Amino acid sequence: MRNGVFAKLCCLVFAAFMLAPIVVVVGVSFTPTGFLEFPPSGISLRWFRAILDAPEFIEGGWISLKLGVISATLAAVIAVPAALAIGRGRFRGREALLALFMSPLMVPTVVLGIAFLRFLTVVGLSGTFTGLALCHAVIILPFVLRLVLASISGLDRATERAAESLGAGGWTVFRRVTLPAIVPGILGGWVLAFITSFDELTVSVFIVNPSTTTLPVRLYSHIAQTTDPLVASVSTVTILFTVVLMIVVDRFYGLDRLLIGEGKK
Amino acid sequence: MAFLELHGLTKRYGTITAVDSMTLNVEKNSFVSLLGPSGCGKTTTLQMVAGFETPTEGRILLNGRDLSAIPARERGLGIVFQSYALFMHMTVAENVAFGLEMRKVGKAERARRVAAALDLVHLSHLADRYPRAMSGGQRQRVALARALVIEPELLLLDEPLSNLDAKLREEMQLELRRIQREAGVTTLMVTHDQSEALAMSDRVVVMERGHLRQEDAPFEVYEQPGSLFVSNFLGKSNVYDARLIAADATGSRLVVAGREIAGPAGVTLPPGDVALVLRPERVEVVAPDAALIEGRVIERIFFGNQWLLRAGTPFGEMLISRRNSGRAEAAVGDRIGLGWEAHHIRVLPREEARA
Ligand SMILES: Nc1ncnc2c1ncn2[C@@H]1O[C@H](COP(=O)(O)OP(=O)(O)OP(=O)(O)O)[C@@H](O)[C@H]1O
Ligand SMILES: [Mg+2]
Repeated sequence: MRNGVFAKLCCLVFAAFMLAPIVVVVGVSFTPTGFLEFPPSGISLRWFRAILDAPEFIEGGWISLKLGVISATLAAVIAVPAALAIGRGRFRGREALLALFMSPLMVPTVVLGIAFLRFLTVVGLSGTFTGLALCHAVIILPFVLRLVLASISGLDRATERAAESLGAGGWTVFRRVTLPAIVPGILGGWVLAFITSFDELTVSVFIVNPSTTTLPVRLYSHIAQTTDPLVASVSTVTILFTVVLMIVVDRFYGLDRLLIGEGKK
Repeated sequence: MAFLELHGLTKRYGTITAVDSMTLNVEKNSFVSLLGPSGCGKTTTLQMVAGFETPTEGRILLNGRDLSAIPARERGLGIVFQSYALFMHMTVAENVAFGLEMRKVGKAERARRVAAALDLVHLSHLADRYPRAMSGGQRQRVALARALVIEPELLLLDEPLSNLDAKLREEMQLELRRIQREAGVTTLMVTHDQSEALAMSDRVVVMERGHLRQEDAPFEVYEQPGSLFVSNFLGKSNVYDARLIAADATGSRLVVAGREIAGPAGVTLPPGDVALVLRPERVEVVAPDAALIEGRVIERIFFGNQWLLRAGTPFGEMLISRRNSGRAEAAVGDRIGLGWEAHHIRVLPREEARA
């Protein structure tokens, strides 16, 4: 490999930039002092204990968890038929439809946030959990759609034809052959969508109200007022949760397949 | 009335005519191969019989019944796809049982028939495996068992052996033929491998660019090709431009490269420009005084059981294939005498070179 050294250097720099903030946050959360210090002057679980005395974070965590599960599920339910139509169909406007579903990735999130705020007011859902979940579903739909589309395009059409030739009707073919083959894609997309929803901030800031404040919004407003290591310990717990989730996904599905679309051999 | 009949079957995709008025009769219990180069319309023909493509024109009759209004899932045909198309999330036994489940066959009966089908393809010991943990040859057999277990009237095979390596392919050719005989099922197979078609079939159908070029028993298509295309596609051929000057029931006379030679009897073409075809295995290396022409060896290839010589001759280059008799063959640069018997020559109409 000719440009091996340069490529390696790039990877190293990239990894450093990705990992450094995490290392800092995790480090800071173990500080025994009352301020953000890195490296920490000692090891203490003081700020982890403090989470237990901060019900707003625990509640925010529950809201984010519930929101993630509901909106990711909603997105998956929409994405599967959409992906089947887009991936299989030969109708006019296929491309346009795909672009529409993917557009939340393109539109600046601040713009989306303002638009959702207005929209929810108009339809009378402003400040509700339902409204929040709907907006999250829209934002995370592209992630599920992309993975389901990938798994559909990787599906051998002949397997469905084989089932058909053996006497299976349309619905049976879908239930017994197509769906099982794309389940990994759906699950992968669901997890990616869940994580995206779980730490979504920009749009949420616009549309939460005090009873639906998510964890990221909580953290954000906490930082705006004080800077104690509590944010670091909450973040560390969140990171741990995400890492565990990733490990579980990797066990059952393969992370490389989730993120790159390549199968585990 | 034949068991399967194709009448003027045509399929057009826009301006492309993939299959052009195919008419073919397949007898019950026979094994018929559709053979031809890539893109000649073999798969399209098979897909129309299967019911996955709708013919633009023409009819398909199975056992006297018109198939056009019958959807694929009700045709009851056994199909083995080139990719095998196994259900990867089901075990071998579940794969095979699928068609019986769809037919609402009872549990005990299902188990019995799955076992019998797996036994037929020698896979009983792998019933609980998943396809991903199997070799290509094993997967191929699962696909076959899955197609046969429903006791189809007709078995359709699309290049069933093309994903296997050469050695396994030869084994599976015999195996597939045995299974087909034991199951007693009429079979239509698509292949672009001429030796496979010759070895396995009762009848070979040679296709070219959507057209049926010749349909015959394997020995006949090989020995009596109706056209240069068929002759070149099946095995190797030496082809030379020649002029037919006389022909009757006892023999014929041809002029090649200014030399007059004897040709076969029974040539029905009118005198004039023709193509002379001579198979490499019909050319003999003979003593110079008995030779019809002389040649100089340009290349010599050893295949184990035989040699292939390429020689420069007055006619042009000639391929000569020789059985390995244990003695060293003529070497590159050697002058050799070449001869053949007049009845081994085939005289065919000239064809324009095709792109
Ligand atoms: N869905 C389609 N749309 C347009 N053209 C098609 C379609 N399917 C096949 N064709 C064309 O029809 C012709 C015949 O295709 P077919 O797949 O039957 O060939 P084949 O003989 O099976 O070739 P191969 O040996 O490569 O599998 C080809 O020229 C192909 O490009
Ligand atoms: Mg084909």
